[in-house]
Amino acid sequence: MNFEAVIGLEIHVEMKTRSKMFSSSPNSFSRAVNTEVTPFDLAFPGTMPRLNKEAVRMAIRVANALHMTIDHELHFDRKNYFYPDLPKGFQITQQRRPIGSDGYLEIRKGNEKKRIGIERIHMEEDTCKQTHFVDYTLLDYNRAGVPLVEIVSRPEMHDGYEAMKYVEAIRNIVVYSGTSDGKMEEGSLRVDVNISLRPYGQKEFGTKVEIKNLNSIKNIQDAIDFEIERQSKALLSGEKIRQETRRYDESKGATVLMRVKTDAVDYKYFPEPNLVPIRLSDAFVQDAIDTCPELYDSKFERYLQMGLTEKDAEIILSDPAMASYFEAAAPSGADMKEVANFLIVEVNSYLNKTGKGIKEIKMPATELGKLTLILKKEKLTHKQGADILFKCLEDGIGVEEAKKALHIEAMVDDEGAILAFVTEALDKNPQSIADYKAGKDRAISFLVGQVMKLSKGKAKPSAVMAKLKEEIAKR
Amino acid sequence: MMGYLDKGMKELHELLVMKKITPLDLAKEAIERAKADSCNSFEKILEQEALDEAARLTEPEEDNILWGLPYIAKDNFSTKGIETTASSNVLKGYVPLFDASVISRLKERKCVLIAKSSMDELAMGGTGTTSHIGKAYNPYDPSHERMVGGSSSGSAAAMAEGIAAFALGSDTGDSVRKPASYAGLVGMKPSWGRISRYGLFPFAPSLDHVGYFTRDVEGAAYLLEALAGHDDMDSTSSYRPVEAYHEYLNKGIAEKKFCYFKEIVDSLSDEEMKKKFFASLEELKKKGASVEEVAFGLDLLRAIYPAYMVISCAEATSNDANLDGIKFGPYYEGKTYQESMNEARTRGFSELIKRRFVIGSYCLMRENQEELFLRAQRLRHMIVDRLNAILREYDFVYLPAAPGIAPRFGESSDKLSSEYLIDDNHLALGNFAGLPSITLPLALEEGYPLGVNLMGRAYEEGELFAAAKALEDITGLSGLSAINKKEGRL
Repeated sequence: MNFEAVIGLEIHVEMKTRSKMFSSSPNSFSRAVNTEVTPFDLAFPGTMPRLNKEAVRMAIRVANALHMTIDHELHFDRKNYFYPDLPKGFQITQQRRPIGSDGYLEIRKGNEKKRIGIERIHMEEDTCKQTHFVDYTLLDYNRAGVPLVEIVSRPEMHDGYEAMKYVEAIRNIVVYSGTSDGKMEEGSLRVDVNISLRPYGQKEFGTKVEIKNLNSIKNIQDAIDFEIERQSKALLSGEKIRQETRRYDESKGATVLMRVKTDAVDYKYFPEPNLVPIRLSDAFVQDAIDTCPELYDSKFERYLQMGLTEKDAEIILSDPAMASYFEAAAPSGADMKEVANFLIVEVNSYLNKTGKGIKEIKMPATELGKLTLILKKEKLTHKQGADILFKCLEDGIGVEEAKKALHIEAMVDDEGAILAFVTEALDKNPQSIADYKAGKDRAISFLVGQVMKLSKGKAKPSAVMAKLKEEIAKR
Repeated sequence: MMGYLDKGMKELHELLVMKKITPLDLAKEAIERAKADSCNSFEKILEQEALDEAARLTEPEEDNILWGLPYIAKDNFSTKGIETTASSNVLKGYVPLFDASVISRLKERKCVLIAKSSMDELAMGGTGTTSHIGKAYNPYDPSHERMVGGSSSGSAAAMAEGIAAFALGSDTGDSVRKPASYAGLVGMKPSWGRISRYGLFPFAPSLDHVGYFTRDVEGAAYLLEALAGHDDMDSTSSYRPVEAYHEYLNKGIAEKKFCYFKEIVDSLSDEEMKKKFFASLEELKKKGASVEEVAFGLDLLRAIYPAYMVISCAEATSNDANLDGIKFGPYYEGKTYQESMNEARTRGFSELIKRRFVIGSYCLMRENQEELFLRAQRLRHMIVDRLNAILREYDFVYLPAAPGIAPRFGESSDKLSSEYLIDDNHLALGNFAGLPSITLPLALEEGYPLGVNLMGRAYEEGELFAAAKALEDITGLSGLSAINKKEGRL
């Protein structure tokens, strides 16, 4: 490739506080349209902003996770512009003094770690939601005033993969710190990409193009890689890149033009006079940090120490509910590697089949832990364990009860006992021995079946097979 | 004819407690007088609501001096279920869903709201001439040639007409204290943050204050006790405890240090004002106070008005951006949202308001911020620093509240003269610094009130009331109303 891509991301994250950024209105995302609204959210004259402390706490946690300098004095500003989704005609944000500045995060690229700089993180309020129809637009003010943190990276990423990993890392932080659902498809995590190309070795940035409406992490990578390709081709054929906003069209696998940017809007920022600067005590900031739930990276390391593979740890951590279920099994003294196996294969398949979420299953995590202990103690097979697990999940009963109901008992792999069954089976079926020796492989399966029958299913099939071959050879 | 409402609040309270009168009697008198108002004081008279409310009040509360008193609220206080327009067409038909915190507090104290008063549109203006219902008149001038001042014009006029025991106003530059001067009233604005602004339609929040009119200093002290205090709905409201301000009233002013600003008094052209002002200084001294002349700095004083215009217009253009016809107020169909908003705002605001928005917007533009908005902010800080330095040395600043009596409509002043720039605008000092400031009558000149103003240290309202009471004792002018004047009791 001839050009170096320079990529910076702006990420808006909706915080899942109980109430909105500056009003007491509930913030639950789930109610009927225009029901979570106070006079402030509709900008009725005389209403005033009241800062949500919980949102500040969350923003501090995210800032801390991103190794940022945290401003111990909160300042808010007004960003003024007219738009139908902006009830007050201005948005309260933190222009001059963001709560966090100058941080970084690390992404893994193959075996290497790469540090991406983060310029700032600030708090602000969301706008209301517009739904456009042919000749009218509907406004839902439930979203107006929902707390946001905006995380602005430095332009230090160079391809779609890096950007994708960066967003993944940000999402892991906001999700595991309890700040947000981090769902791109639902808009609780929104990514705007700024991308420009320049010849390798050139210091100046090229013309910046913005990509919006990215609704999955995969789309980010695809959109950026497409855009790099598009701009490269354009530059090589002597075209000029226009400063424009594009969106990603998933079905076409391409970015398409939304609008050409003219001069940047003048937002006429000035300090919000209804929120005087607020001094945060060291104790408040420290407490917010100390009470932050365990983050992804720490859990990941811990899972590896429990014996999980990186892949299994990633799968479990990809769903916070799964991770919390997984961890709830630990106190029982369970074999956590086995717990992970059951979760990733059997429990997931059960969830897929029934369409349930892990929070809905009736089996407590401690029962799953107990199952792994029983398997080990009674030398049951993974298959037997799976049968018990499905029974527990389906009938909502405990492990012991399920085991009893399924008549599952420990396998016999005692050599003497197996030899006795094998000898009996061979004695009774000389024809099968002859068939096997004549090259009919199927005969051995029949003999295994006979042994299992004699052992009432308790003989360990692998041990039976070995012993049969051994004994046939002797005859 | 003289009525109960020409009296002070304390006297009315005593009559109510002794059951010589009832809240209903007072409400009836208020409504009757309101209906006879000739000064264009009202947006809306709440006859039925007020009479119903007053009729419910039968058991006097001895410890509640506000019990059963009729009052008036400027039409920029949000009143639940009652149309509130701030005298602007842009809010025609807007019926709020909630009460301003001061309205709630007065409801709890069983005060009876008689009417919503007219005002300069959206509280911008100082003349009382820009309401969408037309100009307000000064009750002391039956020929209707003189203004009552603004922006709390209707509240001031109604009080001077003896229509209520007290009236709420708002004060961003001098919008309570200037009309109080022209209408012979006590006009008070406490420290910024002392009274919750929740529900007050904002003009310029960093300068906005809830203020009020009473007929005497004593009433002002009692009323602050009811209105002040922290409010969760206004995070700029102070947590400082509210004091029993009335206990300061007779504290006296012995050993207190008063000062007045040389530049302001020097530029007065009204000889009567000068004479009466200097005479009052001597009386203050007789009561044991000291009075000194201080030079504030002419450049700083002349900077008050431009700095005020820049800051207040800048904040206003943002505060009033919510008035777009989409959520409330008159809505106009348009092909695009821009067209719709444009129409609502073009039709809703008067020319003067649009002019202020243009000024404010211009001052905030990226290329102008440094030269205009930020420079005005720096000037504000310099002025406040100077004022606070003076108040470290002196207890009170004492000045004429206006250059003279209420001017006639159309009497134009040279806007670049010192008289206009500083005499007519210095009360904004109290808004810049958020200091408590009170206007009260000094004398009558040709039958029209002349007012003076006292300003004290932040959150020392009690001391300010003590000084104001001493001054009121000197002038002997408490309980003024146009009717009292007409009937020769002044």
